[in-house]
Amino acid sequence: MPEPVVIGRDVWKLYGTGDTEITALRAINIEISRGEMLAIMGPSGCGKTTLLNCFSGLDEINRGQIWLEGVDLHSMTDRAKSEYRARRVGFVFQAYNLLPVLSATENVEMPLLIGGLPGREARERARAMLTELGLGDRLDRRPSELSGGQQQRVSLARALVGHPAIVWADEPTGNLDEGDSRQVTALLRHLNKTYEQTIVVVTHDATVASECDRTLHMRDGQFVS
Amino acid sequence: MATADTVVVGLLLVLLVVAVVALILGLRHRLAFRIGIRNVYRARGRTILLVLGLLVATTIVSGSLVVGNTIDQLEVHYTVLGVGYNDEAVGNQSPSGAWTPFPYAVYTDVATATVGDSSIAGMAPEIVSSVSVFDRTTGIPQTNLNLIGVNGNQSSQLGEFVTDGGAPLAGPAPGEVILDDLAASELNASAGDPVFLYGAGAIAIPSAVQAVVQDNIRGAFPTGGVGNFGSVFVDLSLAQHLENMSGAINFLSVTNVGDQANRLALAPQVSATLNATIALISAARGLSVDQVLVGALATANSAANSIETLFLVLGLFSIVAGAMLIVGIFVLLAEERKGEMGVLRAIGLKARELVYSYFFEGLAYSAGSALAGTVLGVGVGYALTYAFSILFPQPGLPSSAILNSFTVTFETLLAAYVIGFLLTLVTVVAASWRASRLNIVRAIRDIPEPPPTVRTYTFLAYLGAASLVLGAVLYATTFSGTSDASYPILGGTFAIVGLALIASRFVRNRIVFSAAGAALLVWAGYGHLHSVLLGSAHGGGIFIIFTEGIVMVAGALLLFAFNASSFADALLRLAGGRSQNAPVARIALSYPSRRSSRTTISLAIFALVIFVLVAIAATGATVNGSLSSTLQEQSGGYTFVSYSATPIPNLPGLVANNSTVAPYFSSVVPLDYGGIYVNVSGFSGNPYSDSIYSGPATEPLSSNFYATNQFTYTGTADGMDAAQANAKLATGSDVAVVDQSYAPVTNNLGTGSSSGVHPKLNPGDTMLLTNPVNGHRATVTVIGIMTQSLVSGVFVSPSTAAALGISEEKVFFLTLAPGVSATAAARVAKAAFFPYGLVVLNIADLLATAVASTEGVIGLLQIFVGLGLAVGIAAMGIVAIRAVVERRREIGMIRANGFTRRMVLQAFFLEYSFVTLVGIAIGTALGLLIVWNVTQGSAAASAGVTVFTVPWLNLAVILAASYGLSMLAIAEPSLRAAALPPAQAVRPTE
Repeated sequence: MPEPVVIGRDVWKLYGTGDTEITALRAINIEISRGEMLAIMGPSGCGKTTLLNCFSGLDEINRGQIWLEGVDLHSMTDRAKSEYRARRVGFVFQAYNLLPVLSATENVEMPLLIGGLPGREARERARAMLTELGLGDRLDRRPSELSGGQQQRVSLARALVGHPAIVWADEPTGNLDEGDSRQVTALLRHLNKTYEQTIVVVTHDATVASECDRTLHMRDGQFVS
Repeated sequence: MATADTVVVGLLLVLLVVAVVALILGLRHRLAFRIGIRNVYRARGRTILLVLGLLVATTIVSGSLVVGNTIDQLEVHYTVLGVGYNDEAVGNQSPSGAWTPFPYAVYTDVATATVGDSSIAGMAPEIVSSVSVFDRTTGIPQTNLNLIGVNGNQSSQLGEFVTDGGAPLAGPAPGEVILDDLAASELNASAGDPVFLYGAGAIAIPSAVQAVVQDNIRGAFPTGGVGNFGSVFVDLSLAQHLENMSGAINFLSVTNVGDQANRLALAPQVSATLNATIALISAARGLSVDQVLVGALATANSAANSIETLFLVLGLFSIVAGAMLIVGIFVLLAEERKGEMGVLRAIGLKARELVYSYFFEGLAYSAGSALAGTVLGVGVGYALTYAFSILFPQPGLPSSAILNSFTVTFETLLAAYVIGFLLTLVTVVAASWRASRLNIVRAIRDIPEPPPTVRTYTFLAYLGAASLVLGAVLYATTFSGTSDASYPILGGTFAIVGLALIASRFVRNRIVFSAAGAALLVWAGYGHLHSVLLGSAHGGGIFIIFTEGIVMVAGALLLFAFNASSFADALLRLAGGRSQNAPVARIALSYPSRRSSRTTISLAIFALVIFVLVAIAATGATVNGSLSSTLQEQSGGYTFVSYSATPIPNLPGLVANNSTVAPYFSSVVPLDYGGIYVNVSGFSGNPYSDSIYSGPATEPLSSNFYATNQFTYTGTADGMDAAQANAKLATGSDVAVVDQSYAPVTNNLGTGSSSGVHPKLNPGDTMLLTNPVNGHRATVTVIGIMTQSLVSGVFVSPSTAAALGISEEKVFFLTLAPGVSATAAARVAKAAFFPYGLVVLNIADLLATAVASTEGVIGLLQIFVGLGLAVGIAAMGIVAIRAVVERRREIGMIRANGFTRRMVLQAFFLEYSFVTLVGIAIGTALGLLIVWNVTQGSAAASAGVTVFTVPWLNLAVILAASYGLSMLAIAEPSLRAAALPPAQAVRPTE
């Protein structure tokens, strides 16, 4: 049995106070193994993205504990979380969230630079990753010069270039047409298999979920299956 | 008043037209009206921010106008005080400034003839001259004081003196003197002090100080003397005794009825009456009537207008910057609303309706911001007046009087409001029109605009062709002649821009517009090119600085905008080695260098303001530096220049034989002096009244002007050096040298052509000299133009002076002996030759006073122009606030990727530091360049401004303040960006 990369115990996340209080996550318990590709599905507002944000260290929880690679997330300072994300976590978002003023290569090399890799090495690795994802002829294009599918592939490259412990993907195919969607899903699976990359995909898309090793369903802030 | 009323009516009409147009449009396009007005109300915080940004331009306009009003008021106030009740003067003033005596009976005849004239309040026969006074109590002598002899009873009908204690005083008592504050201060005198008076006879006449009166009403009668050391009032008989004018007067002062406005209005009528009257009096032959009040007010208004123009022109940079800020704000606003504009268009709103909705919204902002800006401008005007009163009070111009002159007129407020309102509205409408031309799908889906199509470039090429033709025509019709040099410079600019637009159809933008930017920089920034292409006859004055400044800044910005990425990449390579800084630097430099349109607006604003601030600072430093460094040129190697009221024959001998004075001076050089009429071919103001000097023929070498002076020349005939010119001047009977004021203006950055103000000529030209006293004439060839302008006039040989009948030794150059005090030497010489009314002026002190005066004006201008910094700072703040909103997801993404809060903060500060520092660098470099250009022209040489000086300390303060304030402006949004919770920030919607 592979070691767990992520462990969550009795995780609660509340928004608002008093009458306006909303429980976004309710007593979440989860373990995600290294090399696993996990899909989290559920209706809008069920807490999928909140879970992603809390377990990736982007957001705070109200109760419970989360361990990432054995380290208690709650014990980390904001700075330590930032450093951890820089080295060990990758993100893919529905809206790509590429920096519009940077080229594809520059976007991809950014996490490497943040992680402290020298500029030349970062650039070589970024180019290699983009080439591997089929964007070898788009290295110096800016996001506005790329199609949606190409942008999402750049986003994937950015998430994976640093070989993080885990990649969190929030609706990675939500903005893509069917063809691009299939291509991105296949890429995710390919990278998962090739690099034994742990990937957690939050999605509405059953096709994406079907490519994953395991699927968890959420409703009202908790897992239902 | 009629003109002011016309302006008011015109401005009100403009407002009315805008209001009517707005009303009609509002009624016809009610939906657009509702959308526009709701946009104003829906986000009040943003509305306040917008109004704050928009009001800056109006504030500057309003501030300029208020400063103009105040200076106007100050000038008029002191002119009226100076003139007193002397509305018209009857007399005959010689070219040297002295008033020619005429019989007292003329006064009696004129008074009799005008008895019953309801326009004339009173008339006083006077003697106006200069006098020396020795205060026997304090032991202090003072020469060259204004002497006004007027009977007490006649004085009272012209107004009362007011003592320092505030008590009214009828007039000078027989045999006594009244001193004004300035004269009393020079003598350290008090009421009751016994004094000796020295008039034309140079004989001591005992008297006593009756009272010390305020420096008003009676102080500034025209005596033609050097400097104003104050006034001495005596009764008429004592003045006649002092000036050897028994039974005569030399000045008839007439006062009109009523207040100042009435007196002014009556001046032509009274003047006509007086002219008609004196024409009938044979003894009054040669006398004329001078409308003193009218002339003085015209001079004062002209001076005030010059200062107002200076403020407005320098303020123009800030106004342009303010207009760019308005454009920037509305571009940001349009980008922010792009999505909703797309939706509005999608559901059927016409593009025109969208423009109207912006128009109504802009109308509300414009009306509000113009009002706020006008009021704020009044505050700024007061602050400047206050600063002026604190920094530059002078004798006779106390702080309280400056503050009391603070004036705001209704016309000013209205003009500032209408200008600010229209400026804002026009800019808003233009920006709205541009913003409304959107692609609906791209707007809704927030898809970036594609690059311009070939069709766009074809259109631009046609536009470029039109610009090229316009520029060529403008240049061809104005490149030579006497027009404002701004026109050919603008012609060239249009041509360059036109060529670039045409070329952009065929060649890559970066190449074309980089070349255009470089061409504009060279065209506006390489002064020598203008001298070669445009010739020497252009004018334009300070407006050229504005034209060139705008063109140069535009050129530099084009160069930057199309090469910003390369520049940023070069900087990144520098930072690349340090892994900690690399990602921060990458983010920070990529935004401004790759979103160059927005960056260019911020840069333009900053560069323009810094340009003018630096140009003013460098001008001040250069003028001061030149004044200091040209002491040798101005002084000719002498320490003092000295004038006497009465001739002092053989002053060198008198000094040598006076054991008290002799040790203080190593040489004394006398000059014969007189007034002269100068006729120069082609000068419209012939004959020009000036001074003439020559060294007495018989002086020994040590006192010989031609042998001892070390004056330099900016031009000589036949390539002579200074020694050769001096030698020729000493012996030639038909030659002359002139001071620098005769030098022609040969650079288009100068103050204009030579016509009308002062005759201009070149070495080798001839001039006709006429002695106004005896009518003797001499035609001389100018063999040299001196660098100095301190002693202005024509220097001739002894033989030419003799032919013209100039023989009074009244001007002297003195050289200080080694190791003695200049102050003590001046005091000793003045005391020793006091009866002659000797004035001793230290040349270094005169230059130092000029330096201090320049610094004062420069300081005030800097404070005013510094207001423009508010525009730059507001621009930075607004852009930063917008950036936080706009880049929310991007900030979230980099936080998700591992950026700490500190790194986000660093990235923001570095980004805005980059923009600010590039703007500062462009503005500073070009500001220094334009001043350096000026120092290279012969106009600057004419003014003795040849030593380019960089005001390092002043620059450091300007640049540090600019940078520091910008960083303060972006601190809050930057902190907000750093504090954005990443989980919220990465979401598509807030």
